[in-house]
Parts: sequence; C-alpha cells; structure tokens
Amino acid sequence: MVGPLARRPLLAGALGLPWLAPAAGRAQGIEAADTPRRAERWRDLKEAIFDGRPTEPAGDALTLVAPSRALDAAAVPISLSLSAEAAPRVRAIHLVIDENPSPVAAVFRAGPAGDLRALSARVRVDAYTWMHAVAETADGRLLETAQFVKAAGGCSAPVGTDLRAARERMGRMRMALPEGPPAGPERAVPVQVAVSHPNTSGLQIDQLSRLNIPAEFVRALRVLYRGAEVLRVECDISIAENPTFGFALAGEAGGELRVEAEDNRDRRFASAWTVGASG
Amino acid sequence: MAPSAGRRSALLGLGGALLAAAAPAETPTQVAPGVFVLPGVHEDASPTNGNAIANIGFVVGGASVAVVDPGGSLAHGRRLRRAVEAATPLPIRHLVLTHAHPDHVMGAAAFADLRPEVIGHARLPEALAQRRDGYLRMLEREMGPAAAAGSDALPPTRLVEDRLDLDLGGGRVLAISAHGPAHTDADLSLFDPATSTLWLSDLLFVERIPSLDGSLAGWLRELAALRDRPAAARAVPGHGPPAVPWPAAAAALAGYLEALRNGTRAAIASGLGIAEAPARVATAEAARWRLAENYHGRNVSTAYRELEWE
Repeated sequence: MVGPLARRPLLAGALGLPWLAPAAGRAQGIEAADTPRRAERWRDLKEAIFDGRPTEPAGDALTLVAPSRALDAAAVPISLSLSAEAAPRVRAIHLVIDENPSPVAAVFRAGPAGDLRALSARVRVDAYTWMHAVAETADGRLLETAQFVKAAGGCSAPVGTDLRAARERMGRMRMALPEGPPAGPERAVPVQVAVSHPNTSGLQIDQLSRLNIPAEFVRALRVLYRGAEVLRVECDISIAENPTFGFALAGEAGGELRVEAEDNRDRRFASAWTVGASG
Repeated sequence: MAPSAGRRSALLGLGGALLAAAAPAETPTQVAPGVFVLPGVHEDASPTNGNAIANIGFVVGGASVAVVDPGGSLAHGRRLRRAVEAATPLPIRHLVLTHAHPDHVMGAAAFADLRPEVIGHARLPEALAQRRDGYLRMLEREMGPAAAAGSDALPPTRLVEDRLDLDLGGGRVLAISAHGPAHTDADLSLFDPATSTLWLSDLLFVERIPSLDGSLAGWLRELAALRDRPAAARAVPGHGPPAVPWPAAAAALAGYLEALRNGTRAAIASGLGIAEAPARVATAEAARWRLAENYHGRNVSTAYRELEWE
C-alpha cells in the first residue's frame, strides 16, 4: 500500500526483470508488492515442467492472446498462434496458468498431419495470474511468452449447468467450421471441436455432502483427419466445462474428421464428421 | 509520498462511512402500506457507496417484520435495521435472501443478534457455500478491508422448494415463490396480496443492466410467467426505482434478454467465437442500460456457453 509507484521500478530493476517493465506492469494493473513472488513462482514452475532447460523469449514466433480482464473466470478464451516461420518447427506448446491449483492447463502436440499455427481454448483462472505459453521446437528450443490476466474464482466457480444434466450429456460433441471446409494442403481453415463434459475441478462443493465434487475431467483429446493425427491435447482441470478447442486444418475437403477424448475415469468418447466440399 | 498514501487510505475509509451515511437512501420509501424499500445506487461496490447498490427493504405485518435482503455490507444492513426500527416497534423475525449475490446478502450480519429465521431458495446454501469466500474477498478488494469488515451472509434456516406462505400477523401473508434458474439458480420472489405488490428483487432490473448468472432461457420463461401473474399492480426491482408499474416494467428487461438470446444464437450460427461475440452481440440494446460496459460482455459470454449446446 505504501508508495507503490515509487517502489515498483526499483524492484524490477534490482531483480533484473526487464520483461516486467514498470510501465507495462502498471498498464496491466499488477500489484507491485507481488511482482517478485510472481516471478519466483514462474521460475519454480519452469524448473519443474522443463527440468531446468533454459527458455528464451518467443518474440514474434509465438503469440498468446488472453483478455487482460476476463469476463468470466470460469471460461476465459485464449488463443495461441505461431508465425509462418515457426509453425513447421514447433512440435508442442505448453499453456501454464501460474496461480491455478494445477498450473499446467494444457499441452498441445502437433500430429504428423497438422501444426500448431492457430490454437484456442477456454480456461479457468483462479486468481489474478500470469499466463505463460512455451513452444517447444523440433530441435529442443523453448520459446516463452506471457500475458497477465485479471480474473478470480474460476476453478471453484459453480458448475455452470445442472450437474446431473451435464452428466447425461457427457460425451456429446460439436464441430464447427466457421470458414467452411479446408481447400487443399496450403489452405488451412479454422476448426472448433467441443466435448460436453462437466470437467469438474475437484474444487467445487456439493450441496448435500458438503464435500468437494470429485474431479472428473477430460485428460486427453485427439483429432484425426483422413486417419492421420492432426493434434493431440493433454489437459487438466484448468480447462473450462465442456472442453472446447480450436485449431487449423489443412488438406483436401471431403475427408473424415474424427475426435477422440478420454477422461480421468477412463471413459472414452468419439465422434466423426465428413468435412465435405458439399457439407 | 509514502506517508500521504497511507493517510489517504485511512481517510478514504472514514470518508466512505460518512458519505454513505449522508446518502439520500438513508430513508426508505414506503411503496405501499407497510412495504418499505431502501433504494440502491447504480454503481458497483466502492469505498464510498459501501456496496449499497441494490434495492433492499422490509414488510411490516401485524406481529412481525420480514426483511427482504439485508444489503451489501454490514453498514448497509445496519442502515436498513435503523430504518425498520424507525418505522415500527415490531420485531424482525424473518430475513429473506432473494438470491446469493453479495449486494443483497452480505449485510445479513447486521441482523445476526436478532436470530431471525433466514429464508432462502433450496439451492441457496450451495450457492453461498461456493461463493461466500470469493464475495468476502471481493468486498475487501473493492471497499477496503476496514469498510468490508464484519460483512457476511447468514446461513439459511428455512428453505423454499416451491412455495412458502410467510405469515407476518394481522392478516398479512407473503407468498414466497422459488424459481427455476433465471437471474441466478436460486431466485426467490415475494407477493403481498394485501397491496398487490410483487417483490421481484433481481428477477427484475430497471435502468441498470441485468446481469445473467443463471439461465437465459430460464429467465425469459420465468419473466413470462410473472408478467401473467394476476392481481400484481406494482413490482419492486432489485435495481432501479423503489417500485414500478407491473407488468409494464418487464418490457425493457424482456427486450434486452431476447436481443441477447437472438444475437448470441446468430453469433454461434455464424461461427463468431466466444472471444469476439461480447463486443458484437446486442450492443445497441445494451447501450440503453446503465453500467452496460461492466456487465454486457459477461452476459454475452454466459449466454454463449448456454446456447451453444441448445
């Protein structure tokens, strides 16, 4: 509370955190007193997730877009994009929500028939947090970028729908092609797939038992086109109810798009659609 | 700079209490014989408004008083309690919590020593259990720790599954209804047959933009049923004037909710994403309401997540 404006530059400078420039920090509304703690948390997380391998700033190669102030902490839309140069080289992108109870929200892995040039997801955000994305290239480099997000309570937010109804609908899937079917190997189009699943975080409370609702969440999702894997997502309770992912799909129209999902109770769900030029 | 910042925050805390005490809403409006409303301001919680942002009030019967929503903070609840004591010597025996939102329930602590029965929707205990901690943190953040201190809800002691007749004596019996998911998933309304007054709380917003935290389809359904309610002449909205003519005052809310539903459905059908939809859907309708910039985007996001699985 005391003199936050006077103290922030001093701390950022002393700790050698050029990426936490004071002006940027102020613009994003980050509390000065928390800055060193947040930086330390990310260093610890990085150490644990990547076994101490060094990361480098992603620059233009990887962009993470998230709202600076989320409209709904239980479903914060985020998107990840790779530059044209980086897209063929990146094999995986890790999405980390530093302050969440389970920080690694998702790992996206490119299949032989796809790349990670344009991804989207909806995540839960439990407290004001840095959100980090780290792209892993085929030659083992780790490219890091970050965005500060103001949102709170997303992990323990009440289940959006009637849990019983949500369970009955569990496994139903949706697929959307907002720009139509793909038009060849060079013409990727956006695809969105969603699995109806309560994706309970284990941090929500059941009214009758007064106990937390056990965590039941989609832990893996796989997308195949014409039988070849396009994308694999390993995910966790930080993904919002009804896990919804976007990606880019290239290839000739008319093939079968298949989505397979698996939750932590070993339930398996699958749906397939023909992505035809004629619908 | 440092000492003055500290002193400024201390003054702000004190100033908040003084300003709140001087606010015009110290005195309730008697909207019908025995039905009193303490109107809130069209703002979000702040150190200066003490979270006195919702319409709260009380109904005086022949033997006892029912408080309908104890307010947004301990100070707001105390102000309401003083208003009751100025209006009647009868005891406050009932505290009705119309839903779980903090601007309506966090003043309940001001009535704890009276040990009233606390009436809520059957789903209210769950909603409060899930949200209370977050609401306490929100009040501290938005009002400052000193002004927020002591504010809290009280656990419901009497749950309403469907209907409850609440007898206040002297022939005044309030008909309390539990609604399906609408504004929230635990909404109550009250009807006072003696004065044809329908106390809708946040099932009705006037002037201030509605906030959707339950079900859009459900809210439209409940609103249609309430509009057809015979014999209701006036309604008490959760935000807006103390009382409004009924059912005429439902039209603006229904118009907004329908625009939200139709616009969100169209966005989903056209492939517009959930990240982009809030800035594009029903913005003209939203602009007619106060505080639209704080709530409309979230309403679209909530509607989107509900309607994409229709």
